[in-house]
Amino acid sequence: MSVSAPGAAPLRVVIAEDAVLLREGLSRVLDDAGLDVAGAAGDAEQLLQLVGALRPDVVLADVRMPPTQTTEGLQAARLIRQRWPGTAVVVLSQYVETEQLFDLLADDPRGVGYVLKERVADVTQFTSAIRRVAGGESVIDPEVVARLVARPRADSPLQTLTGRERDVLALMAEGRSNHAIAGQLWMSPKTVETHVGSIFSKLGLAPDAGDHRRVLAVLAFLRE
Amino acid sequence: MSRRRRAALIVAALAALAAVTGQIVVTYVPGPPQPLIGTISQSLVGLSFLAAGIAAWLRWPASRLGLLFTIAGYLWLLPNLGHLPYALPFTIGNLVASVYGAALAHLALAWPTGRLRSRFEVGVVAAEYAWTIGQSFVSMFFWNPHTNCGPGCPANLLMIDGSRSAENVLGVISIPVGLALTVTVLALIVRHWQTAQGWTRRAMVPLLWIAPAICALSAVQTVAENTSLRLFAGATAGNILYGYLPLILLAGPALFVASTLLARTARGAVGTAIVDLEPGAPPGQLRDALARALGDSTLQLAFRQPDGPGYADTTGRPVDPARPEPGRIVTPLPGPAGAAPAEAVLVHEEGLEHEPQLIRLTAAAAGLALEHARLQAEVQAQLEQVRASRARIVEAGDEARRRIERDLHDGAQQRLVTLSLALGMARSQVAGSDPGLAALLEGATKEAREAIAELRELARGIHPAVLTETGLAGAVQALVERSPVLTTVGAVPAGRYPAPIEATAYFVVCEALANVAKHAPGATAQVAIRQPAGRIVVEITDDGPGGARPGAGSGLRGLADRVASVGGTLRVESAVGSGTRLQAEIPCP
Repeated sequence: MSVSAPGAAPLRVVIAEDAVLLREGLSRVLDDAGLDVAGAAGDAEQLLQLVGALRPDVVLADVRMPPTQTTEGLQAARLIRQRWPGTAVVVLSQYVETEQLFDLLADDPRGVGYVLKERVADVTQFTSAIRRVAGGESVIDPEVVARLVARPRADSPLQTLTGRERDVLALMAEGRSNHAIAGQLWMSPKTVETHVGSIFSKLGLAPDAGDHRRVLAVLAFLRE
Repeated sequence: MSRRRRAALIVAALAALAAVTGQIVVTYVPGPPQPLIGTISQSLVGLSFLAAGIAAWLRWPASRLGLLFTIAGYLWLLPNLGHLPYALPFTIGNLVASVYGAALAHLALAWPTGRLRSRFEVGVVAAEYAWTIGQSFVSMFFWNPHTNCGPGCPANLLMIDGSRSAENVLGVISIPVGLALTVTVLALIVRHWQTAQGWTRRAMVPLLWIAPAICALSAVQTVAENTSLRLFAGATAGNILYGYLPLILLAGPALFVASTLLARTARGAVGTAIVDLEPGAPPGQLRDALARALGDSTLQLAFRQPDGPGYADTTGRPVDPARPEPGRIVTPLPGPAGAAPAEAVLVHEEGLEHEPQLIRLTAAAAGLALEHARLQAEVQAQLEQVRASRARIVEAGDEARRRIERDLHDGAQQRLVTLSLALGMARSQVAGSDPGLAALLEGATKEAREAIAELRELARGIHPAVLTETGLAGAVQALVERSPVLTTVGAVPAGRYPAPIEATAYFVVCEALANVAKHAPGATAQVAIRQPAGRIVVEITDDGPGGARPGAGSGLRGLADRVASVGGTLRVESAVGSGTRLQAEIPCP
């Protein structure tokens, strides 16, 4: 997996989206943002061919694609992660369904993103999500996480978390690193680390060094 | 009053007159005194035959049995003429002294239809009549009454030779001939019983008990009257022979009573058989029940074939109602009004023809049972059609919802996403140059985002894509994640089921959780989906206040309809104070 530092060669992206207008729009947006759109596919089969041929850094795939308009993009994404571990995948979903999310993350959450389709409107945030996934992080749409956090619960250790700890938890679930959380919440990295330790001990989760493992642990906990 | 009744009354009056006259004659006319028992048995036997005759006539107007009973009664009473102190009636009375025996043989051989079965039997009966009269006639040539009853007796007008020797010789000849005739009649009766079938065989049974007794009586009398030894001479022997023993003949009228009881019992049995018949029993069972009730194992129930003019019975054997087999009778069953050729017929043994009431009852009962079965089958078929059409309607509704959901996602939502992408691009282009326009675009983007979110929830409410994509387990999980109700999900089978079943189970959970959120805020709920053999059981329980009434809200009613559309049942247990339990049981192959 190539981590593109500023100034290095631009990230090579393959887009899979069956709606032509949207596909071309995405192409332009990513191009403008300095990414190299190496190819664009209209369905899952074409996508797999392109990925095999081009070996892009990252794939952007719509969940619903022909022929059945159900979860072709999702299946293709999993296949790509298995076959070409060097290619990261961002899945664009029109639903907020955790079932899909867990399907996607189950194998290995690294280099996987699950983003609601309307996020494309915010070009900066969207391209940054692509870059993060290409960099090996996991990106989970905040709305999905928000839904999981908001679930009614009885006697859950979640209720013992402070407001700040909850904010940190949500960002962890979105796949953010400690560093990013610190930047977003205007905290020192040290404080974030303290919060993370406290959250893990309150929730009874095993402290894990890697950020990517903790995404799954936190999401699974939230979904329980 | 019908003609028949009037005639019966006249016969009855004549019978009474004959009896009273006979009684007066016997009592007041001078002559050898009659023992009391003789008088009693004379009147009793004669009157009972006459009574049986009238009753039989009323009961079987088409049959000769009434006539035969009546003739036997009169022939029994006629010899009383012999008690008159005048030569002519005395001679006649003695001449016909034993003709009643021939009438009894006639009656027995004609039982139970009133008709003799063959020329041979006609001959046997004729021989009986001829012999009983002829034998008396010949023997009276040689009978001197004075040797029996003394000089007070009237003269025998037929006497030629009064010496005892000729009479004795005749007696010796009479015994074997009389006995032979009696044995022949008895043998024929037994043969009738052996070859009879169905109702006739049943009707023969009482005769089989009665005939030997009467034949024995006849044999004893034949021997007694014709032996020179006069074994049975003396007053006591006379009392026994002509006073007590003839009471056996009361068994003749008893035969009529027995056959009446038999028919009545059979009528009851037919009624019971129909009542006991299981609802919707196949016609074969109806036939068996009727056959048992009538004691006619050969009974056939035949139906008009839908694709032809013919009929076939319950075993599939073709039946031609126009040409029944010999000895069998066809009775059409009353069917729905306006059906010209009967839809069904009973084919039974001909003996039953003489019990028209029993036939009418049987046919009516069978017709009713068949009509009932037909209506039931019709209703069942209609119900089946309605069920199927309801299932189709629900399925079509589901399909329409699925299509709308897809159209919303792939059409409107997609366009809105494209729109917001374009807005985003426009915004980044004008970002530095025109802050006012940038703010406007920012607002438009926000609107588009909200429109997308609203559209997503709308589409989800119409039909959850996750149900189609991942099945019941994922869809229930998604429901629970969205629901404001704190819900625990038990095991949910991970497999896929036919779409109508998955959709129904899903909507049960959806509606139940929505109800909990609405009527029992703060309650917790449990969802469990089990899959015992052949069905799926969806159960949602909550610890709310209970008191939900299935008929009240349209929600539960609609849900029950929805569950019923896939052949399932919805149970709601919701006692006040103990929560609500909603259980849907859906058949699942």
